Amino acid sequence: MDIKTIEYKNINELIYMYTHQSGLKAFVIPKKGYSKKHATFATHYGSINNEFVIPGDSTASQVPDGIAHFLEHKLFEQKDGSVMDKFSALGSSPNAYTGFSQTVYLFSCTDKFDENFGLLLDFVQNPYITEESVEKEKGIIGQEIRMYEDDANWRAFFNLLKAFYSNNPVRIDIAGTIDSISKIDRETLYKCYNTFYHPSNMIILVVGDVEPQDVFRQIESGMVNKGEKREIKRIFPEEAGALNEAYTEQTLAVSMPLFQMGFKDNTNNIRGYDCLKREVAVKLLLEMIMGKSSKLYDELYGEGLINNTFEFDYTIEENYAFSMMGGESADPAAVKDKISQAIASMNKAGLDRDSFERIRRAMKGRFIKQLNSVERISHSFISVYFKGVYLFDYLDVYDKISFEYVNEVFKEHFDLGNMALSVIRPSSSK
Amino acid sequence: MSNMLPNEQVKKIYSMNGIEIYNIRATKFKTNTINIFFHDSLSRENAAKNALLPAVLRRGSEAYPTFGDIALYMESLYGAAFDCGVAKKGERQIIQFYMDFVSDSYAGEGQRLFEKAFEFLEGLITKPALQNGVFNGEYVRQEKENLKRLIESRVNDKMQYGVERCLEEMCREEPFGIYEYGSVSDLDSIDGKTLYEHYISFLKSLPVSIYITGDMDAEYIKKVTSKFTAIQRQNVKTIDPPVISVDSREQKNITEKMDVNQGKLSLGFRTNICASSPDYHSLMVYNGILGGGLHSKLFQNVREKAGLAYYAFSRLEKFKGLMVISSGIEISNRDKAEEIILKQLEEVKKGNVSEYEYKSSIKSLETAVKSLGDSQLGIVDFYLGQSVAGTNDTFDTMLEKIRNVSIQNAIAVSQNIVPDTVYFLTSNN
Repeated sequence: MDIKTIEYKNINELIYMYTHQSGLKAFVIPKKGYSKKHATFATHYGSINNEFVIPGDSTASQVPDGIAHFLEHKLFEQKDGSVMDKFSALGSSPNAYTGFSQTVYLFSCTDKFDENFGLLLDFVQNPYITEESVEKEKGIIGQEIRMYEDDANWRAFFNLLKAFYSNNPVRIDIAGTIDSISKIDRETLYKCYNTFYHPSNMIILVVGDVEPQDVFRQIESGMVNKGEKREIKRIFPEEAGALNEAYTEQTLAVSMPLFQMGFKDNTNNIRGYDCLKREVAVKLLLEMIMGKSSKLYDELYGEGLINNTFEFDYTIEENYAFSMMGGESADPAAVKDKISQAIASMNKAGLDRDSFERIRRAMKGRFIKQLNSVERISHSFISVYFKGVYLFDYLDVYDKISFEYVNEVFKEHFDLGNMALSVIRPSSSK
Repeated sequence: MSNMLPNEQVKKIYSMNGIEIYNIRATKFKTNTINIFFHDSLSRENAAKNALLPAVLRRGSEAYPTFGDIALYMESLYGAAFDCGVAKKGERQIIQFYMDFVSDSYAGEGQRLFEKAFEFLEGLITKPALQNGVFNGEYVRQEKENLKRLIESRVNDKMQYGVERCLEEMCREEPFGIYEYGSVSDLDSIDGKTLYEHYISFLKSLPVSIYITGDMDAEYIKKVTSKFTAIQRQNVKTIDPPVISVDSREQKNITEKMDVNQGKLSLGFRTNICASSPDYHSLMVYNGILGGGLHSKLFQNVREKAGLAYYAFSRLEKFKGLMVISSGIEISNRDKAEEIILKQLEEVKKGNVSEYEYKSSIKSLETAVKSLGDSQLGIVDFYLGQSVAGTNDTFDTMLEKIRNVSIQNAIAVSQNIVPDTVYFLTSNN
């Protein structure tokens, strides 16, 4: 068995890796002294993959919105009942989530890792979907969709994505709509499964106090060969650089307005290390412009325009990238104006090198802090891996990122013409 | 270093004048944490003031008088995090000041972040930025406004709101029914002067417990904390335990209307058992069987069999002896859902509990307890909970007590569960 390792001495972390003959990549990150063992089995397939060419086909297939998430629910069903029951009997908690570009199955346990891991390997590789269970699931997922319809933060987020994008499927709710899921059937679920759950499109990661060799041995015997790796052609509609709309608004039962705003980032096909670099640069800039140590934050907070709920973030994937900032505010438009003004005056005055250095160091510290949690490591590792890099590569980015590069990204990203605002207003009768 | 504790166990290293300091040794983490908790009895009179106080204190101290100064300092401590807030455990209002920071080995040569962090918190709590001898009026005005909005924004999270409102309606006449952030009307009369007066008695008389996690020696901790323990203290308050059982009464039915798509059904029960009761571990297993996980009767029947909901669970409030069941459903399915939920309680009462349901409950509780040790906040919250409940468990003794609960013990607990209040959040139409 060919096991490779990468060591990150300065943070005392180690990655073991192994490639199964089916094409599956497997990783172990040992965490000595931890009780929890966290295993994930993930496929590079998410809600945005609603159009693709099945290997061997000559034409593209279009599938209903929300099907990746629907499939995630259905995989838990097995011939002899729900696999959840088997995990439960071991006292572990299986879970799964569907993102824009990945579906992740996971469990964490403190005991009987091998048995739990065996279950994970087994159920993700062996779908058992019946027409009847598909119909029942429509009721459950329907309630999940309803729950999100009432979730103001979630709505503000998706409305912003709709403002950014006219065609990119990232604008569509991950779970789809009650209408779109009504069109899902057994056959289409299998079609998606057979296309995207090929081992060569998947990875396994285990984080916790485990023996890497044992984990890989179990993978070696538990993985089924599904034939040659075949290229899946993923189709994305053309997306213009400009915003779909600059402002969007919805009313819901909330106590005060809340908002999400941000900049659409037209970076196409950035992958790997460059992705991390750009992410760190934009996050650093967001801290410099509106972080807690900034003049702008002090002003916004002092004037009562933002409160403790104010947060910001940046997302970058192969087909889309955007920054986001938001929270509760009595006057979201005023927040937008202040942020625009601060950016304009920073543009004139230039960035401050000392703040850059201080924040760079603080962000590195915060990154190291995340490594306390096996869940956080697993979650971040997977999303970073599908971009073509390793989680711990962030450290190198924090160490090497230059003031000049950050200046460049500042000029590119914070283009006021690419800034959109999404507001949720209280409905008049609560 | 001498006198080292086994990992993840707590040791009391100081206790005087109502200030207790605990050390939890935890070597596997890359960070250390400091938690300072002030404890008060929940009361209408003080709830809003206790909630407002940390919000005003966090605006600035003598040494770091503004938000910006504090944030800059945190950044210079390698991205240390500082926060504060309030929580409710039973009928106790707990005011928390928190910091975490990377261990010195990741911060570079000669860093002593624990000392710097503690000194910062000590200054923030004991030497606030003042104006004419009282709190800055502008800070107080702004934080009153923020707190008012925070109280009003409870409606935004409908799931949590439904659960909290159900418990509040149950305990309307009891201190537990007070929201930990107080009420909007209580805020009106507070100003810089009255808040400062409250602060003086807060500092002098409320019991304080401090939890420090990290690989540190007791003598060193005592030395670093010596300024804090030297605060002048007087008439340290005694916090009474909550009342667990009430006289039997009619079941309450509450319906609240809002502009929502999904209905939230919450059912509140008195368990007549709290964390210090001998039956408490049986209650934990009972709750596990009823609604504590994917194996539970509620999840299996409301979601998996009937397909009525995405979530359905039961949860305990162990300090006050309450249990709440919650589920998000189509509004027209309310009666059907309630019927299925109540049927599950009946089934347990009748003893219809499978070996699978029982064993899965024990195992999932074991996993949950063991997992706490993987997070420093989890460990601190566990021991804080022990101290609030007046119990003395470690992770190991807790595990043993859970394993010793028999299926009969868990079923027997049913007899203690009394329905109290049904709360339904529904649409305007």
